[in-house]
Amino acid sequence: MNPALDLAAVALVVVVTALVGGYGLRVSRTTSDFFVASRTVRPVWNASAISGEYLSAGTFLGLSGLVLLGGARGFWFPIGYAAGYLLVLMFIAAPLRRSGAYTIPDFVEARLESPAARRVTSVAVLVIGWLYIVPQLHGAGITLGVVAGLPPWVGAVTVAVLVAAAVAAGGMRAITYVQAFQYWLKLAALLVPVILIAFAVGGGPYDVPASVVFPPAAGPAEIDAYESASLLLALLLGTMGLPHVLVRFYTSPTGVSARRTTVLVIGLVSAFYAVSSAMGLLARRVAPDLAEPGLADTVVLVLPSRVFPGLLGELLTALLVAGAFAAFLATSAGLVVSLAGVVSQDVFGGSVRSFRLSALLCTAVPLGVALLTVPAGLGASVGIVFVVAASSLSPVLLLGVWWRGLTARGAIAGMTVGALSCGVALLVHGAVGGVGAAAPFLAQPAAWTIPLATAVMVAVSVSDPRGAPLRTDRTLARLHTPERA
Amino acid sequence: MTEPRRVRVTADPGPRRPVAATRGIALPDAPVDEADAVFARALRRTQLRLALGTVSGFVIVTVALSLAIVAIPGLDGIVLLGVPLPWLLHAFAYYPVVLVFALRYARGADRNERRYRALRERE
Repeated sequence: MNPALDLAAVALVVVVTALVGGYGLRVSRTTSDFFVASRTVRPVWNASAISGEYLSAGTFLGLSGLVLLGGARGFWFPIGYAAGYLLVLMFIAAPLRRSGAYTIPDFVEARLESPAARRVTSVAVLVIGWLYIVPQLHGAGITLGVVAGLPPWVGAVTVAVLVAAAVAAGGMRAITYVQAFQYWLKLAALLVPVILIAFAVGGGPYDVPASVVFPPAAGPAEIDAYESASLLLALLLGTMGLPHVLVRFYTSPTGVSARRTTVLVIGLVSAFYAVSSAMGLLARRVAPDLAEPGLADTVVLVLPSRVFPGLLGELLTALLVAGAFAAFLATSAGLVVSLAGVVSQDVFGGSVRSFRLSALLCTAVPLGVALLTVPAGLGASVGIVFVVAASSLSPVLLLGVWWRGLTARGAIAGMTVGALSCGVALLVHGAVGGVGAAAPFLAQPAAWTIPLATAVMVAVSVSDPRGAPLRTDRTLARLHTPERA
Repeated sequence: MTEPRRVRVTADPGPRRPVAATRGIALPDAPVDEADAVFARALRRTQLRLALGTVSGFVIVTVALSLAIVAIPGLDGIVLLGVPLPWLLHAFAYYPVVLVFALRYARGADRNERRYRALRERE
């Protein structure tokens, strides 16, 4: 590995990000530009940007690590991430675009006509967003540590400063172009090494037979049914509850184009995940010695120099480092944009100046958490975010869009119960590592917390003496009927 | 004979409800006529049915694919490019399934909306 080359790659990503962001800044003029890019972003750009911010550190570094560490079980993560967009497409993409709201709390308030429900939603959005930014900052620390031997805080602080500056300067318009560019950078950064490594080792001859590298005991047949089903449920439903995923649909011009964008996103992220899975398979073949909890997340960065000693390996590593940094920057930036949108509208007046201030605030908190905590596995940390989102925000969105009986009290009760139950389950699991027969239900709580949150929402709504808001029918008609041509 | 008490005549203010703060979101305030409401409800039901049908189809195909990978004997013996076939299928075979269902749903939803438009214009 060549630290100078790798640091140059990081610097190049930063400079290009700043240039593209600066171009965006020139065309950002109004409050609407800052929040939702004035709703004029074309589907291809929008889809690239959505994919760019969706593919995080957890996917870029973590997926290959998961496959190396846990075997075929790791493949469920990307499958769930991709299929999560199928549910976004079917249940919320077009209706949320037509709702005309800027953020999830805006939607909840408009639908339920309740400032209290809005506040609870805002808190959930903030917590989920912060939980998601922390692993991005950890990933940056790990990367700079592996390639240049720098202490972990350097990477975290670098990414946090860049993101806060970019978001405060350009808002959503600038971020759209930055993230679209970063999707293609991430795909190329993974695809080129995978192709070269696959040509080098894929044809054989092999020293170790396939049955040892890919033992049936770690293969698809040996997967625990409850664990996989619960994880898949969390990933499928969690995607729609992520704060930075939804804010993107508001930038499509119409509901129909929001759907078209989502189909494109499914294609783009699937392509990336297929490449990432191939990297995981190659990692098992080339670097079985890295299959340890602390090391597995670094395998993507180490692989090229193992296969190609010399300049080619160093260049490929630099490319991967650039892609990894694009992942940290894109996801954190997307999250900070959506969190800043929520904070600036809830706490301040919703002006451009308050948006900038909120962007700084929303980066500072997760940076503090990241500096105070030790990184666990990146893939697993990101999985927890999906569980929390799926148990709190996803039921509100689904019922809010499709069930006219939802009331503000029901939404508040369900969100609180869902978030608390999965929070407690995960904390207990983290503290004692499982209690007898309850262990799998604490480790993967989604299979019972999502139904629980939904049931509470429905039960409280049905028994709410005030009933559904008066304007529910009009709101629903607006969500589901196409725009006038 | 006493004069009738004078009554001040004003517009009925209606039930006093505080106006919800909407922060600039245009709430759907245009009056909705009866036919429109019926069509809108029908469209909502059709779209929900389409979505639930697509989800069921997706779940059935995914479960069937998983069972096939696990249960078909002899797949482990087939090795392509040094990787056993079950691993390759698990790594790559699910994405085309997701994409096919996404395309089918998007097409169906567009068709439902075109039908709704046609119905409303005929009214």
